[in-house]
Amino acid sequence: MKIVSNLLENIEGIQIYYIIGLLIFFTLFVVIFIRTMRRSDNEMEEIKNSILIDNDSEEIITS
Amino acid sequence: MENQKFFYDNKIVKLFLLATIIWGVVGVIVGLLVALQLAFPFFNFGLEFTTFGRMRPLHTNAIIFAFVGNAIFGGVYYSLQKLLKARMFNDTLSKIHFWGWQLIIVLAAVTFVLGISTSKEYAELEWPIDILITIVWVVFGWNMIGTIVKRRVQHIYAAIWWYLATFLGVAILHVVNSFALPISLTKSYSIYAGAQDAVVQWWYGHNAVAFFLTTPFLGLMYYYLPKAANRPIYSYKLSIIHFWSLIFLYMWAGPHHLLYQALPDWAQALGVTFSIMLIAPSWGGMINGLLTLRGAWDKVRDSAVLKFFVVAVTAYGMSTFEGPMMSLKSVNQITHFTDWTIAHTHIAGMGWNGGLVFGMLYWIIPRLFKTKLFSEKLANAHFWIATLSILIYAIPLYWAAVTQWLMLREYTPEGFLAYPNFLETLTQILPMYTIRIIGGTMFLIGFLLMVYNLFKTMAAGSVEANEAAEAPALVSQGSRNPVTETIHRWMERRAVRFSIWVFVALAIGGAVEIIPMIFIKSNVPTIDSVKPYTPLELEGRDIYVSEGCYTCHSQVIRPFRWETDRYGEYSKIGEFVYDHPYQWGSRRTGPDLARAGLIGGPMYKNAAWHYNHFMDPQKMNEQSIMPNYAWFAKKEINLDLIPNKIRAMQTLGVPYEEGFDEFAVDDLMKQAQTIVDDLKNSNIEIEPTKQMVAMIAYMHKLGKDIGPPPVEIVETLEIAEPEELELLSGEEDLAAGKAIFATTCVVCHGADGKGIATFPDLTDEEWLTGSSPSEVYLSISNGNITKGMIPYKDQYSEKQITQLTSYILLTLNKNEDSK
Repeated sequence: MKIVSNLLENIEGIQIYYIIGLLIFFTLFVVIFIRTMRRSDNEMEEIKNSILIDNDSEEIITS
Repeated sequence: MENQKFFYDNKIVKLFLLATIIWGVVGVIVGLLVALQLAFPFFNFGLEFTTFGRMRPLHTNAIIFAFVGNAIFGGVYYSLQKLLKARMFNDTLSKIHFWGWQLIIVLAAVTFVLGISTSKEYAELEWPIDILITIVWVVFGWNMIGTIVKRRVQHIYAAIWWYLATFLGVAILHVVNSFALPISLTKSYSIYAGAQDAVVQWWYGHNAVAFFLTTPFLGLMYYYLPKAANRPIYSYKLSIIHFWSLIFLYMWAGPHHLLYQALPDWAQALGVTFSIMLIAPSWGGMINGLLTLRGAWDKVRDSAVLKFFVVAVTAYGMSTFEGPMMSLKSVNQITHFTDWTIAHTHIAGMGWNGGLVFGMLYWIIPRLFKTKLFSEKLANAHFWIATLSILIYAIPLYWAAVTQWLMLREYTPEGFLAYPNFLETLTQILPMYTIRIIGGTMFLIGFLLMVYNLFKTMAAGSVEANEAAEAPALVSQGSRNPVTETIHRWMERRAVRFSIWVFVALAIGGAVEIIPMIFIKSNVPTIDSVKPYTPLELEGRDIYVSEGCYTCHSQVIRPFRWETDRYGEYSKIGEFVYDHPYQWGSRRTGPDLARAGLIGGPMYKNAAWHYNHFMDPQKMNEQSIMPNYAWFAKKEINLDLIPNKIRAMQTLGVPYEEGFDEFAVDDLMKQAQTIVDDLKNSNIEIEPTKQMVAMIAYMHKLGKDIGPPPVEIVETLEIAEPEELELLSGEEDLAAGKAIFATTCVVCHGADGKGIATFPDLTDEEWLTGSSPSEVYLSISNGNITKGMIPYKDQYSEKQITQLTSYILLTLNKNEDSK
């Protein structure tokens, strides 16, 4: 981060955009990651396979 | 629960797919034409309508918005209905969307050929068409969200999230980037100036790649790949995580297109950081796609559809690794402004977008027409030809990029540029351009095989315009049940709320990038010596913009020694404050022009040179690949619009004095007269209202304000010292002299030394400044700035100039030989 902040020092108050942005991203990422990982595998399977069930597919191989 | 009966709208899908095929052929043919033009300037046909500057935007727009655009809509309209078990929301909206989009494409083609362009890459269309795009795009979104709302399934499948992100992303980008002040129906000025315009444009340009060429295609991949392989997607969890990461990160990465350019360091650092982070979600998508085929690879052997998908996903993985690498500053100095960029975009375009579209077409069309594919063999042949063509296209261009970069930065032991003339580096890579044509031709042949195969397939079957289906109605689940439902699941059920979240994720990145550039004044330090364009210069600039000169000439010099030695002082952010739009360019097929007007600088050429060069570049230098612009001497500038333009500039904050619009035409005529007089001295007759005069004025404005005060012009050379110069008559020395002559002097004095147009004949007995070896040596060293000859002592060593002098006097000027 040292290099980044050196570059950013040139403009007053500019680092706040960078920091806020990164914070929002990492917070969101962590929240989405944890929530997604905690979802049940059965539910995931059900959604995955749902698109294969229509007139287009004769046989369906599920994992 | 009782099943509801409904009908899928197959007709609209068929229309979009037909449009995809037809525009695809057009786009590839125009692509082949521009490739031919770059290798053989003959293919510009000497017509203003078919110059490279006008054809190149036609190619990029035809491929991106006509071919890929229609493919997206066709693919979305087919899969959306099946995924949601519902007919498209409204048939009229579907029709308006289809015909509106085709109208936009036709208008785009016509305006580009006529030289109507805003010059913002991939957003070159003028404001009335921009408004039309906005309307049609809203119709598309309305139709899509309407269908999602009236769906018959609970969960919105991942593919549709990507479609929604596409709709929202493109809407934001298009609207923000297209803000312009109209002058007439066919001309507008971007409201952003210089560096701000560059940031907004590349925020748009980069995200057009993201939200037109990536997100919709990931959506298509999530539907068509599992369908074609008949296996569910590898990991649904991965799809959720990489969706949110990707759409969030993409919006930040735009400034990596402007590294080392006149942009604050913080913006460049921001762009690089997020570009590197983007590898993760991009590869998440690639891995998810490839692993979907686990256990089904045997099918890939026979199925052309799956083969195309595999190449598409692989090309996606390669491009999304290459892209972040190219955004590292050290790599970027090689890849930017060279053919590396062109190779990169074609790996992605021909491989990822092309592959996915071809696979999708081969999969949908037999199903839509209720028949079998006419020939699986032909489809496989198409696959191999197309895949090989990508390699034959891209490898020569990578080679060309590295070759040119190495040549551009090579120095002689004496510390001079080894190839001071840009053209030498271009001539070296022309064979690569010829090989590229082979790649392009193969791609076209493969494409035509597909067209034949698909039309045969269509002829064998018929489309059921309204295909009957049934599904149970969706029962509203009401508010979220915290026990049985996670928040993401609940969010996904609600299309509108989901869209808002996507919008927020997208808006953050865009806002961080653009808002500080526009609102924090210290980001764009102004330079007092930089003056607004005079009316004539402005007119010349508008011609430069509309002719698409930016497709080959950049106007920004990066802070490298090999660029500043070749083009002049590096570019500062404050130089561009009156540029609506900016003209930095992205590929140098010709030399940079940022300092073309700096008298005494390495790029300066006088009015007579510019006149002759526009009239016939190949006469000035046989190896030049620039199209001729002879009609500049015939076409009039539109004086009626001048006051409007000045007023528009004033509105945009350019400090012309109050009421200047009333004198603008007089001012223009006065300045034009000085150029006309200047040309008259060189025996060139031209009226002051011709486009040529405005173009010369603009060329002479470039970089003029920033340079050192004009060098004191020495009319007569001091040749008092009678020091005798020893001519070098060795074969090697004469050959070296000839080589320098052939790359540098030839432009004005001609290959035979007899002089082009008004430039002096070096073979006769008339010499302006004396014909003794030391006099000729001095003429070359110091140049003759008023006549447009630059001092070559800055580019060549003493020995090289002596060799050149020897060549001129011993070989070219036989008359002098006897002395």
